Amino acid sequence: MPRSSSSTSAAEALYALATASARSVVVVGTAKNAGKTTAFNALRAVARRRGTVVAVTSIGRDGEPSDALDAQPKPRVRLDAGTLVALPAGLVPRSPALALLGRGQESALGTLMFARAMVPTTCEIAGPPTARAMRATIDRLCALGDGPVLVDGAIDRIAPLAGGDDAIVVATGAASGSTVARVAQVAADTVARLTLPGRDAARERATVVRIAGALDARDAEELLHGSPDVTVVVDDPTRIAVRGAVFAALLAFVDLRCERPLRVVACTTSPVGREGTLPARALVDAVARATGLPTFDVVADLTGGAGD
Amino acid sequence: MIDAATAERIGLTWLRTAIEPVGAFGRRHDETIAPYGPGEESAALAEIAAVHALAQRLDPDGVARVRAALRAVPEPSPILSRARAGDSLSDVDFYELGRFVDALGALRNAWDSARGPAEERPPALDALRALLAPGRDGGGFYLAGGFDASLEPARMALAAAEAALDARRVAIAARVRAITGVDPIGDEFVVLRDVYDGPLPDDVRIVRDAPAYRTVAIDRTSSTRDDALAALAVAEDEARRTLAERIARESHAVKGALGALGALDRALARVAFTQRWSGCVPEPAPDAIDVEDAVFAPLAEALAERGRRYTPVSLALRGVAVLTGPNMGGKSAALATAGFLCACISLGVPPPARAARLPLLDVVIWIGGEGPHERTRLLSSYAAEVVRARETLAVASARGLVLVDEFARTTGPREGRALAIAFVEALRARGALALVATHFDGIAEAAHVPHLRIAGLHDRALGSLRSNDLEAALDAINAAMDYRVVDARDGAAASDALVLASLLGLDSTLVKRARELFAQ
Repeated sequence: MPRSSSSTSAAEALYALATASARSVVVVGTAKNAGKTTAFNALRAVARRRGTVVAVTSIGRDGEPSDALDAQPKPRVRLDAGTLVALPAGLVPRSPALALLGRGQESALGTLMFARAMVPTTCEIAGPPTARAMRATIDRLCALGDGPVLVDGAIDRIAPLAGGDDAIVVATGAASGSTVARVAQVAADTVARLTLPGRDAARERATVVRIAGALDARDAEELLHGSPDVTVVVDDPTRIAVRGAVFAALLAFVDLRCERPLRVVACTTSPVGREGTLPARALVDAVARATGLPTFDVVADLTGGAGD
Repeated sequence: MIDAATAERIGLTWLRTAIEPVGAFGRRHDETIAPYGPGEESAALAEIAAVHALAQRLDPDGVARVRAALRAVPEPSPILSRARAGDSLSDVDFYELGRFVDALGALRNAWDSARGPAEERPPALDALRALLAPGRDGGGFYLAGGFDASLEPARMALAAAEAALDARRVAIAARVRAITGVDPIGDEFVVLRDVYDGPLPDDVRIVRDAPAYRTVAIDRTSSTRDDALAALAVAEDEARRTLAERIARESHAVKGALGALGALDRALARVAFTQRWSGCVPEPAPDAIDVEDAVFAPLAEALAERGRRYTPVSLALRGVAVLTGPNMGGKSAALATAGFLCACISLGVPPPARAARLPLLDVVIWIGGEGPHERTRLLSSYAAEVVRARETLAVASARGLVLVDEFARTTGPREGRALAIAFVEALRARGALALVATHFDGIAEAAHVPHLRIAGLHDRALGSLRSNDLEAALDAINAAMDYRVVDARDGAAASDALVLASLLGLDSTLVKRARELFAQ
């Protein structure tokens, strides 16, 4: 059963799990407004409570008062004193001044700047313009500080993290479905794709098919009409372009693997959606069961274990 | 004046790329300097001599390092323009100016390690560096307290206000935790009614009151913090404004430094070229081209990429001369070499030769092998050549070089030869400097001008090489060909057309028949 913690909050547990074996934690969402930034901010709040100086950045633009696409309210990012951040020059707040430490790639909002907050401030952040640059940005932030690097991420831009030891947290919630079952199904589908196992020479089947680029519906169709004694290898989990039932069928039929796996460590749930609200406890429990991953509602302070 | 077609044929387009500065300052500087023309020999030779001396003094690796450092110098001009206009600058602007002075330091270090002469050392802009120093710890920038005495008190006031706010928040969170059992990790949290449905502490506000839960926020508003933040913003902006004004006063020095960087960039581009191609300091010669072991660098580079050797060309040209020789013997390359070397001196570049006497010219014109653009004008090859010849004669003078590559070869040979003779006479009458490559016989003698020829195939090679492999055939021809330009009075001229056709794999029966016909 989900529980409301008393000694260790859901956010604390999520932080401990995510940072146990990784310098960087990347939060991605199953849909827009799935609670990604809320989970990201909860991780930062725990670090702050622990007195740990973190580094933060984002894939895409985040922290603005309202969403650039749909004008929905979005949380701004508060930077505590000492926080390292990567953000475009155009978003560097005028006051309080940041200590500017270095520069990265060019982006539409100006050169990416590496900076440290000297006094608390609140601002927008946006990360590097390309997925490839994200790897370099995370590595640079790791080099600049000792604490964890927290990334407000996006599923379609985490390919460069494949093969690394970054911990990935999947945020899901009412934004991706109107029922608990539907949200859990979407989460399970996403996690199944992102946790595609790496190659294992000892278990490879008679034929190994290497897919260059994306594995799309046409590839899936051909594979499903071929022999099941096949190991299919893609470069990384983000190259799987099929979803839902087709993906599930493929997963059951062939041995689907990737060259560079991702490391998904947990899920978070957000029961509040634009269309309505789902029961928080039922949701965190269902997502935990469907994904097999520790699942947390950091706002309602609920934890769902896979075995619960 | 050199048109695009000629620039392409004599390698000027290639040369401009080869000596392009690496930085924006150098490119801007280059744009302000027109090619040297007649009467500017002293200036051209002074630049060439300076470049040559620097090329002798600096090692090529050092030049590469200095050029890499030049390339890394960021562009400060837009920031300085805004500062001069009275705009306040941002911290990113100050950071970029810091990068600029750091890059100048790195450039000076590279210059010193390349053993560059002290008197030509790149500028340091110490005054600008000193202005930024309070905010620079390592390579970054921070609007530190050293810039303005009001900054530190304002920051301390804000930090105190934030600390008080945090303490209040911690206290509220503790009360929430004690009352509801929910740990409010963020400023906004949810309390499920089945966890706790009682009254909430006074210092939280309910954002959403739903049947199953309440969304609750801890109020983070604080007029003390807001006032402190506003005061800090005023202090920071004032510090930036003051710093920007001081920086604006350095803009003249920065402009001078950028000019020096541009000149250095231009010079080092030429130094690198000189080191690569062994340029020399030429003597001025207003009416002659006299070069020893000259290299047409674009061709030499292309050959080197294919593993082939380039044979340097020696050439003495006064007035008009006719050049004959075998196909593939390098007539066109000899023409191009003459134009290329003249282009070098006009751009202040040591010409790649062991020794050279060269003129500065008003115009260089190439005639022959007119390209596809002529077809768009609905001109045949012959018509295009005639139009080109007409245009050439209109501007041909003692201050121009005319390079003629097989003029009139596309019309009937008797009329073509007559036309070629008349054209050479016309060039001579205008006092032009001209080299005329042709396969027509007797042009030089008929027009009473010197006759040069390509030495041609070695006798020992004739008939001994045959291959259907084009690359192998080209290698064989390259090995067998003597590309030197010699006086035609020394030995017999030959086109070697039949030998080359055989070497290039043309059907042997056909070549044999051609030999029989030629013998008749």
